[in-house]
Amino acid sequence: MRYFLRRLGLFALTAWAAITLNFLLPRLMPGSPADAAIARLSQNGPVDAATRAAVEAQLGVPTGSVLSQYWDYLGNVVTLDFGVSYTFFPSTVASLVGSALPFTLVLVGLVTVAAFVIGTLVGVLAAWRRGTRLDALPTLTGSFLAAFPYFWTALLLLFFLGYTFRLFPTSGAYSPYTTPGLNGPFLADAVAHAVLPAVTILLTSLGGWILGMRNAMIGTLGEDYVTFAEANGLRSRTVALRYAARNAILPNLTGFGLALGGVVGGSLLVEQVFAYPGVGYLLYNAVTNQDYPLMQALFLMITLSVLVANFVVDTLYGILDPRTRR
Amino acid sequence: MSLLEVQDLSVVYEPSDAPVTHAVRDVSFTLERGEFVGLVGESGSGKSTLGFALTRLSKPPARISSGRILFDGADVAALEDEELRAQRRGGFAMVLQSGMNALNPVRTVGHHFDDVFAAHGHVPRERRAARARELVEKVELAPTVLGRYPGELSGGMRQRVSIALALALEPQLMVFDEPTTALDVLVQHAVMGTIRELQASEGFTALLISHDLGVVLESTSRVMVMHEGVVVEDAPSRDVLRDPQDDYTKMLLSHYGDPRAEVVELPGLAARGGELVTSSGTAAERSARGSGGSPGAGRRATAPVVVEGVSKVYPPPRRGAAPVTALDDVSMRLEPGQSLALVGASGSGKSTLAQLITGVVRPTAGTVSVGDVRVDRLRRRGLRELRRDVQMVFQDPYAALNPLHTVEYTLTRPVVNYTGRSRREARARVLELLDTVGLTPVEQFAAKLPHQLSGGQRQRVVIARALASDPQIIVADEPVSMLDVSLRAGVLALLEDLRAQHGVSMLYITHDLLSARVVTDHILVLHDGRVVERGETSQVLRFPQDPYTVELLDAVPQPSRAEGAA
Repeated sequence: MRYFLRRLGLFALTAWAAITLNFLLPRLMPGSPADAAIARLSQNGPVDAATRAAVEAQLGVPTGSVLSQYWDYLGNVVTLDFGVSYTFFPSTVASLVGSALPFTLVLVGLVTVAAFVIGTLVGVLAAWRRGTRLDALPTLTGSFLAAFPYFWTALLLLFFLGYTFRLFPTSGAYSPYTTPGLNGPFLADAVAHAVLPAVTILLTSLGGWILGMRNAMIGTLGEDYVTFAEANGLRSRTVALRYAARNAILPNLTGFGLALGGVVGGSLLVEQVFAYPGVGYLLYNAVTNQDYPLMQALFLMITLSVLVANFVVDTLYGILDPRTRR
Repeated sequence: MSLLEVQDLSVVYEPSDAPVTHAVRDVSFTLERGEFVGLVGESGSGKSTLGFALTRLSKPPARISSGRILFDGADVAALEDEELRAQRRGGFAMVLQSGMNALNPVRTVGHHFDDVFAAHGHVPRERRAARARELVEKVELAPTVLGRYPGELSGGMRQRVSIALALALEPQLMVFDEPTTALDVLVQHAVMGTIRELQASEGFTALLISHDLGVVLESTSRVMVMHEGVVVEDAPSRDVLRDPQDDYTKMLLSHYGDPRAEVVELPGLAARGGELVTSSGTAAERSARGSGGSPGAGRRATAPVVVEGVSKVYPPPRRGAAPVTALDDVSMRLEPGQSLALVGASGSGKSTLAQLITGVVRPTAGTVSVGDVRVDRLRRRGLRELRRDVQMVFQDPYAALNPLHTVEYTLTRPVVNYTGRSRREARARVLELLDTVGLTPVEQFAAKLPHQLSGGQRQRVVIARALASDPQIIVADEPVSMLDVSLRAGVLALLEDLRAQHGVSMLYITHDLLSARVVTDHILVLHDGRVVERGETSQVLRFPQDPYTVELLDAVPQPSRAEGAA
């Protein structure tokens, strides 16, 4: 219990540090969004004071001491008030992120978890039957697929399954004729749209999990406790899962934590290729349009999601490995 | 009918990338019901391979190439997987060498018992908890261990748990593969005692595989000696002790002795009273002495090592626990050219004392000095200077050498760093060092990588490396405990020779009282960080005063005790 409380405390502390850094960094940078806008305008000719005032009024210029700004900022973070997007004016940042987040979380999150679970199970099987076809096939295909660049797999799938055979829609998260919400037609349509990006992520990340688990498990299979379990006549399923795999999965959990943390921010390429309206797509738009409020909110979210994922994995680790609890 | 009958058994290793090795060759023997038989051999003799073959745990690249193993009349090799698994209950069980790692670190001890009961279903569900308690009590553990994880138990406790797990199978044959090797002397003694009692009370047939003829002779009624894959001797323990037939057995026996005896002699080494003389010994040892007069090999020590009132307290391992006192008010003196033994069980603080003298660790209180130098006050530069004079020989020759570097490279580094010789002079010095430690032809050994050397040869390289800086003092931390019996005397003779010929002082850290008796003049017995006894080695070991010294002496395997046991 103390272990978990300590982890929780550490989590709260790092989260606070991340939020504060997110506040400080833009203020440490020279210039301001208003300066940038004015600089762009001034290329076309001198900018008069009225224009400058108008730009500053539109973008907002910080007032008050840094401390009071910080206090306001903390309040805004808590109430999820991240301001108004420049690009998608007058939508608020919160509403933009709120509409993009579910798609990314469901698509990338589920697929990442699925890839980890499937890859780990296949890895266990491959190690248990090492040297046989059950080992060679997944290991070879896994490393083959993992060697493909993300977007290349995506383009291939898009071309063959999307255009040539027209099995799946090629872009977007749902068709315009459905109404988003918890209704049958919409959900079926959303799933059809998610298939291609999901398969892309699954194919490219599966190989890593298979190889990682297989190699770790081959290591634990050589451990004395596995030999001793066999000598005691335990069923091979018990030996494989509770003795060898249970120990082999521990180092892979760390990798899983990183992958989970990357769910929110790391799907940029795939979302871009499939024009999937998730967080990655939004981030790309925010960066290309220099949409500072949107960027700031997204960066904060990405940081926080990495922290949450790490906390989850640390907790899991504590449950699975009694040695870390001390 | 015999319980186990082995007929012309051969086991080969067939790795895909190396030549085939014949680990076990045409071995035949039988085990009668209720017998306690020992299987002795040095590393590489094939004894463990044989043990794994008997219990059908051999894995590729090992393969039984010929012969049959009949267990209770049935051919073990013919068993289907499921039959084999089922007969692990009530059939043959095995306790592994490194009992330390035989338990799954993420499952409690109780879970291990549950797994065994669930796998065989021989204990009704409602009886299982009680049965597990019974079993751990049989191996003299408290039932509370059932709720604990392996990492929370000591090595001895873990080995007891694995014995209890093997017992849970109610086996007819128990194979113990080096059950106590990784354990501390006193713990080893206690665990062997438990094994003997269990064998008598439970009545299983036991095969004890060990490299230690002393341990085996003490416990078993019959001994098989294995050498290079062949059983060279198979006779009742008493006969092996009184009248060994094979030369190899005779050689093994010659390395045992009673440290309490008036005169102790080991091949190549002999000790009388407090004075030590080396008699003609192994070839390696002779060559070591032959080159003894070579110039520049070591300097006569002039500085005494003085430790006064030293304590070392480590911070508590976790919050809430008490701080750990490794050493408590210890004083000692090592005169130039003398050899001093530091003995005690693990945790007695002997290695901490060595770390204080080599400047690796600073004392919490007290002073450590080598000559005029206060070791406990040295900073980086001073420590570098100190290491020219004080060098270590480590316990594990397999871990003490970088596997990627040749012997020459390993030895050149300290020669260049500490003696400022040029490259060419350094090479000459390296060859000289190899000659001093008896690794000839020197040119050949210089070019070798650690994995191409045997354990004894590696330890000689480690010693040569320690000599490279022309040290005055050598701290040898269990230098022979990882080596086969037949190699120990050679390394000990070499160390002794360095002292006698070159006047190097030696601090010899060990739990092995017999070797302390033959290579040291003075002895310091440590127990829980305190000195419990000190004096001349022969005096202390022959007439021990402290009960702890007596306990240590009793734990020394005594083949001669077999007479009583048999």
